[in-house]
Amino acid sequence: METEAADESGFTSVASKRGRRKRKAAGAEPMEAAEAAGPRPSKRPAFPPLPAEALGVGKGEVRKVPVPANRYTPLKENWMKIFTPIVEHLQLQIRFNLKTRNVEIKTCSETKDLSALTKAADFVKAFILGFQVEDALALIRLDDLFLESFEVTDVKPLKGDHLSRAIGRIAGKGGKTKFTIENVTRTRIVLADSKIHILGSFQNIKMARTAICNLILGSPPSKVYGNIRAVASRAAERF
Amino acid sequence: MAAVAGLEKCLRVAGAAAARPERFLSVQDELAADFRTLTKTLYDLNKALGSSVVRGSPLKELVIENFDEEQIWQQLELQNNVVLDVFKKSVAQCTSDKDLWLVSGQEDDGSDAEATSDSEVEDVMESEAEQENVYTKHKTEAKEKKGKPRESVIEKYSDEDSDVDFDIEALEQETKTAKKATVKKTGRKSIVDDKFFKLAEMEAFLEHVEKENGEREEEEEDDIDYFEDIISDDEEEEFEKAKVKVRISPVKSSRDLTYKDFFDPVDDNDDLVADDAEDYEDEKADSAVEEENEESMSEAEDVSDMIMENMRNKKVSFSLPDDSENEDGTDMQLERGIDLSEIKSSFEKRQEKMSEKIKSLEEELLEEKPWQLKGEVTGHKRPENSLLEETVLFDHAVRMAPVITEETTFQLEDIIKQRILDEAWDDVVPKEKPKEDAFEYKKRITLDHEKSKLSLAEIYEQEYLKLHQQKTEEEENPEHKEIQGMMDSLFLKLDALCNFHFTPKPPVPEVKIVSNLPAISMEEVAPVAVSDAALLAPEEIKEKNKAGDVKTDAEKTPTDKKRERRKKKLRKRIKLKEKEKRQKLLEKMKPEQGTKLSKKAAAAKLKKLTKEGKASLLKDEGKDKAVKSSQAFFSQLQDQVRMQIKDANKLKKKQKKQKDVSVHKLKL
Repeated sequence: METEAADESGFTSVASKRGRRKRKAAGAEPMEAAEAAGPRPSKRPAFPPLPAEALGVGKGEVRKVPVPANRYTPLKENWMKIFTPIVEHLQLQIRFNLKTRNVEIKTCSETKDLSALTKAADFVKAFILGFQVEDALALIRLDDLFLESFEVTDVKPLKGDHLSRAIGRIAGKGGKTKFTIENVTRTRIVLADSKIHILGSFQNIKMARTAICNLILGSPPSKVYGNIRAVASRAAERF
Repeated sequence: MAAVAGLEKCLRVAGAAAARPERFLSVQDELAADFRTLTKTLYDLNKALGSSVVRGSPLKELVIENFDEEQIWQQLELQNNVVLDVFKKSVAQCTSDKDLWLVSGQEDDGSDAEATSDSEVEDVMESEAEQENVYTKHKTEAKEKKGKPRESVIEKYSDEDSDVDFDIEALEQETKTAKKATVKKTGRKSIVDDKFFKLAEMEAFLEHVEKENGEREEEEEDDIDYFEDIISDDEEEEFEKAKVKVRISPVKSSRDLTYKDFFDPVDDNDDLVADDAEDYEDEKADSAVEEENEESMSEAEDVSDMIMENMRNKKVSFSLPDDSENEDGTDMQLERGIDLSEIKSSFEKRQEKMSEKIKSLEEELLEEKPWQLKGEVTGHKRPENSLLEETVLFDHAVRMAPVITEETTFQLEDIIKQRILDEAWDDVVPKEKPKEDAFEYKKRITLDHEKSKLSLAEIYEQEYLKLHQQKTEEEENPEHKEIQGMMDSLFLKLDALCNFHFTPKPPVPEVKIVSNLPAISMEEVAPVAVSDAALLAPEEIKEKNKAGDVKTDAEKTPTDKKRERRKKKLRKRIKLKEKEKRQKLLEKMKPEQGTKLSKKAAAAKLKKLTKEGKASLLKDEGKDKAVKSSQAFFSQLQDQVRMQIKDANKLKKKQKKQKDVSVHKLKL
């Protein structure tokens, strides 16, 4: 680079001291690399795209998802539906460790995408929490879906009967209220005793969470319906 | 001899022209032609004679035919530029030469010859003639310096001759000598005078220069000399040297120049300041010296000769520290015989002044401060109305109302005009209460209370597809469009040709209906499916009462009843008020109509009239009523009779009155 600079019409480019030191330390190699690559702005370092091996995937990263006892049977029943997309679409290796009762997912040499592992782990975790396989499958297919969990007592410290009534309000008769909220906000809700899990996109999770919190705090379902309907219609109009 | 004859002729022509200068107020074309031929003859003569000293330009003769003035001038310039340099040098030499004697009266003339810049307009031919004279005669007369570098042609090359310039020169000489004499005359002594510096002289000079500057500025503003040659440096040097040498005779190299060469000899007879030479005095001396030098260098260009008298009348005033000196100087002037020891040195004087100042400051500080500096001052502590004389600044808590000035009104009017032009009115937009249609109500999201059949993934999938499908609309083939259009126009024309009674089709607005519904929903007549959710709710048909459910009278609580009553009364009241308002308005606009129609109004009018006494109400006497008792019957009878008598009496009286009147009439 210095030779190039010197050749140009008498202009000598003044290099910064930092650059000079680095250049000196590097020695001849970067010169060759630079000349091979052609003239490049001296500020940005040049990194060729890493091959898959360099990612460290080849070694085999492992993710483990623990399975509680109540989800054991559903896991067995839906095993086919779980492992097929993971193995075929995400090119990962999956197994259920009977001793530790963990679902283990591992990357292999065929794995192309590094984020696949995270997605698969989330998918399995969602199923374990209680979501349906088809719903949890959306996590793999869409990038921007999230999973949020909170407890009823986080919203308001309830005990005993009050807690039960709150949970009853959230569920509604035959699950009506919950389904309504799910349909309007396009989310999926799992109500497991005191714990509430919501799966969906960020805005929708917010809407659903607001609705559920209102229910916990004591507003009647009709009012909550009106609110979520208004909010949802506004959101739908915008998009 | 031909040369002499030619020269004589030239002189004659020039003399004749100069004799009648008033002719030059207008353009003289014949004279111009004469002068041109004159120039040519002179030039040719010069070339014919040849010269040993200088060659001049290579042109053997001056070409005039069909040549522009510019071109003639340039030919001359060719000759002049070379010749002038030689002349300058030779003249300088001549003047410095001791053997040659210049005519005494015109000695100074040579030095202030440069002053011709503003005052003269020289014609080229004249200068040429003079050059010839100089060259041939080799003696200098007054005109020698006309061929000098500062060829003063202020105005553009014209054929007009200049006026006489000799008189001006003579005048200048006089003023110069007068100046010198008067400078020596001012004998006012001051304390700062010494061998080199005279305060009075300096003052005089300053005034003179100021005046000069004022005049010169005026002159320079009007005419800038575009054609004035700018002397090159070496020319200047020589020139100046020559001038300097004119004043002080011996020829010296620049290294040997002393004070005497530049300045007048020093005056020793004035009283000196015996003590230390102060810095500022020296500076003053130097400045004065410089000024004198300037004076000698730059000659007077003005024609006025009253300068000296004016100078003596003025008095220059200096800044404060010098005042004392001046005053002392003036004092000294008055008292000549004062002892030197009583004169204080300037340092001592300064010290005195300083100490005085210090004393005064100390006194001030020890005194009581004025009320302005005393901090919080109430009304009692300061003199009456003293705030009115002070400019007081204070913060305003409230924004001041804008002062209405002419400017503000103009601004407002401008805004108004602009608004009218733009038609940007500030009309009140009537607000509409948004009425929600049942349709719109339905458009909002319907609530599905059942578990959704589709999974989340599928829902998002559908959404995504819907989003992306909207972008791809049906695009007709542009070729099809074109074909369609062409066919339409063709068929229209054919129809017009074929039919006897042809009526063209009315233009149909192009309406394009795009629907993304599946065909089955478009084709099917019966509704495919009706669910409860699709039906309208009762609230969508009729808006619900804010109060709640409708109640029968039996169901109503006392508060409900009271509420209703209140509402009813309010409604009535409002109605009544509106009616009254309407009535009043009607009365104002159409008074007859107003009173005719309403019953109430009639009753009111009747009441009014009866009160005033213009009308009397017929009372119902109850004659028609059946009389029940005998007493009542007889009393009634009595009343009736009484009434009749009364009436009869009244009649009689009236008749009498009437009779009286007739008698009076008869008598008359």
